[in-house]
Amino acid sequence: MKLRFFLALWAAKLSRPLLKITRHNGTNFPGELALKICPDFLKYVAKPRKIIAVTGTNGKTTVSNMICDILELSGKKVLNNRAGSNINSGISTSLLTGVTIFNRPRFDFAVLEVDERSSKRIYPFVKPELMVITNLFRDSIMRNAHPQYIADFLTDSIPPETKLVLNADDLISSSVAPDNPRVYFGIERMDTDVTECVNLINDMRVCPRCLGELKYEYLRYHHIGRAYCEECGFHSPSYDYTGGDVDTRNMTMNIRDKKGSGSYALLSDSVFNIYNMVAVVALLRELGMSHDEISRYMAKISIVESRYNEMTVGDVALVMQMAKDKNALACSRAFDYVTEQPGNKELFLMVNCLGDEKHWSENVCWLYDCDFEFLARPGVEHIVVTGPRGKDYKLRLLLAGVPEEKIDWARDELEAADLLRLKPGSSVYFFYGTDSVVLAHKVRAKAIEHIQGDDR
Amino acid sequence: MKIEILYPELCNLYGDLANAKYLARSCDAEIINTSLKETPRFISEEVQLVYLAGTTEKGQEIVRDRLRPYIKEIENRINEGGITLVTGNSLEIFGESITDEKGNQVDMLGMFPIKSRRDMMHRYNALYLGKFEDMDIVGFKSQFGHAYGEPQGLFETVRGAGLNPESRWEGIRYGNFMATYLLGPIMVLNPPFAKYVLRLMGVEDAKLAFEDTAMDVYMTRVQEFKDPNRGFEY
Repeated sequence: MKLRFFLALWAAKLSRPLLKITRHNGTNFPGELALKICPDFLKYVAKPRKIIAVTGTNGKTTVSNMICDILELSGKKVLNNRAGSNINSGISTSLLTGVTIFNRPRFDFAVLEVDERSSKRIYPFVKPELMVITNLFRDSIMRNAHPQYIADFLTDSIPPETKLVLNADDLISSSVAPDNPRVYFGIERMDTDVTECVNLINDMRVCPRCLGELKYEYLRYHHIGRAYCEECGFHSPSYDYTGGDVDTRNMTMNIRDKKGSGSYALLSDSVFNIYNMVAVVALLRELGMSHDEISRYMAKISIVESRYNEMTVGDVALVMQMAKDKNALACSRAFDYVTEQPGNKELFLMVNCLGDEKHWSENVCWLYDCDFEFLARPGVEHIVVTGPRGKDYKLRLLLAGVPEEKIDWARDELEAADLLRLKPGSSVYFFYGTDSVVLAHKVRAKAIEHIQGDDR
Repeated sequence: MKIEILYPELCNLYGDLANAKYLARSCDAEIINTSLKETPRFISEEVQLVYLAGTTEKGQEIVRDRLRPYIKEIENRINEGGITLVTGNSLEIFGESITDEKGNQVDMLGMFPIKSRRDMMHRYNALYLGKFEDMDIVGFKSQFGHAYGEPQGLFETVRGAGLNPESRWEGIRYGNFMATYLLGPIMVLNPPFAKYVLRLMGVEDAKLAFEDTAMDVYMTRVQEFKDPNRGFEY
C-alpha cells in the first residue's frame, strides 16, 4: 500500500508542472489522479497539525477564504483549497501540495472548504479539529433533496472529536452531530427583523421537540432567526459568540463572548455576509486570537462579491447578478435584495440551467419554491424572460402577481436583449445562472450597444 | 368550495403547495391549512379536495402517526367518492411499509398494496411522460425510493419510471383518491389534468388561472418530453 500511495503522490505531483505548462492550472486533475492510483490516498497523505473545515449551504467559500486570509496575515502558513474544488478530488489536490515528496507536511494549518455531500468520502481520513457549519438550506432538489437530509448526512460523517462552530439562528444546521463538542454564534435583533416568515420556504415551522408551531422572537429570512415553542418551552440555543449593534449605515457591529468583545467594521451590508463575519470571528476566537487582532486583520481583507457586479453606461446602471440556477433560496435572496434597492428597475431573467437543457429538461419545481412574488414589488417596471425555460418564468411571474403588460418573452437570449427598454435613470439587473456567465455578458454587451447607439 | 391542505408546515417540499393554490385560484376556493396538532377538517365537514404534499423521511412517519387514527374516515371518504390528491413521497405513507437500504422496515398506513424500498445513498432523478385518459402528463421525479406492488395505477407510463423502474403504471388511483410520485406543481404543469380535477370537484366549465400561458408552457414541455433524443434520467 505504501508503494501504491507514493506512486500516486509522485505521479500527482509530477502532473502539476505539466498542467501549468499546458495552462490547466486550478483543476482537480492531480487529486483525481492520486485517488485513481490509490483510492485510500486521503488516508495516507500527511496532514497539517490543525485542520479547520468549513461547510454549509451558503457562505462556505467566503468564510473559508476569510479565515485563511486572516490566519495568513497573522503569520501562519495555511494550506487551503480555494484554487480547486471542495469535493474529495479537490481536497486531495490541496493536501498533496501540502506535503514533500517524502510525504512530510509543509503547513501548520489547513483551512478546507468541504462540500456537504462529499463528507462521507473525506471525514473518515481528514479529521478537522474545528468545523464551521454556516447554515443549511434547500439547495438542488436532485442532489441535496432537503436540508434535513444534509443535516443527517453530516451527523453521520463528522468525526466525534471535531468541535463544531454552529449558527444558533439556524435550527437545522445547529442540530447537526448533537453529541459533538460545540459553540454557537448568532446575531441579536436587527432593525430589519420580522416575526412572521414572508418567504415560501421555511423549513423550521415545527418544534423539533413537540411538533407544535414554532414562533420567532426575530426572523431574518426563511428559517433564520431566533425560534421558540410556546407549547413545550423549546428555544434556539444561546449564543456563545454574539453579533450585536449591527449598524449598516455606519458599517459597524460588535461581537462579544464570555471573555471579551470587539468592534468590527462591516465588510458588507448583506445579512448573509454579516453572519459570515460572526462565524469567522467565532472560529478565530476558538483558535485563541484576540478581538483586537481579528478586527485589525479583518479590516485588511475584503469579501469578493463575485456574484454581483455593477457598471454605469450613459444614464443606465447595468448590474450582473449571478444566482445559482435551480436554487430557489439563492434566487429568492437575490430577488429580495435587488427589489429593495431604490429607483426604477428593469429585470432580465435567464437563470436557466443550460447544462440540463443540453441533455434533459430542467426540473422547474424550484420556481414554485422561489419568491417570485418579490418581483411584483413597486419599482420593478419591466421584466424580460428568456432561455429554454423563459415561458415557465412568465407563468410563474403571472401567478406571483406581476401584470402581463410588464413581461416580455423571447426564446433566444440575445434577441431578448433587444426587448430591454433601458430607460434613462433606471437600473437593469441581469439574473443569470452559474453556467450562463459567458452568455449573460454577451447579453449585457448588446444592452450596452443599444445604450451607446441610443437605439432604445 | 374548500381545499384542505394537510400538514403544510411539514409537507411542502419542491413547490408542491402550488398545486392547491393553483386549483383554489382557478375556482375561487377557500384553502384550509390543517396543522399537525389539528383534526383534519374533512372528518367533520365537506371538503371538495384534500391535498397532501411530499415531505422528509422523518415527516413521513410523523404524518403516518397523525393520520393513523383516521384510517376509517379516510376509507369512508374514498368509498364515498371524495377527492384526495397526494404527491411526492407522501404516496408511500398510504402503502404497507418502507424498507431502507440497511433493511430497516417501518410500517405505514397499509391502505394500498404497495411496499416501498428506499436507498438514501441513491437518488432517482428523472423526467416523466405518461397518459391519463387521453391527456399527456408531464412531470419530474426526484426521490430516494420506489414502490412495489400492483395497485390500480394513476398514470400509464410512456417514458420514465412508473411506481418503480419496471412498472408500467405510475401512482395509485382508487376512486377519486389519486397519489403520484410526481413532485412539484403538477397541476400548473398539466392544465388538462388540473381541469379534470376541478371538474371532479364540481366546477363546470373550469377556466384555469392564466390558462393560455399555462397551456403554452404545457405544450412546449410535452413536445420536449416526446423528443426521443432527449435524455430522461439525470
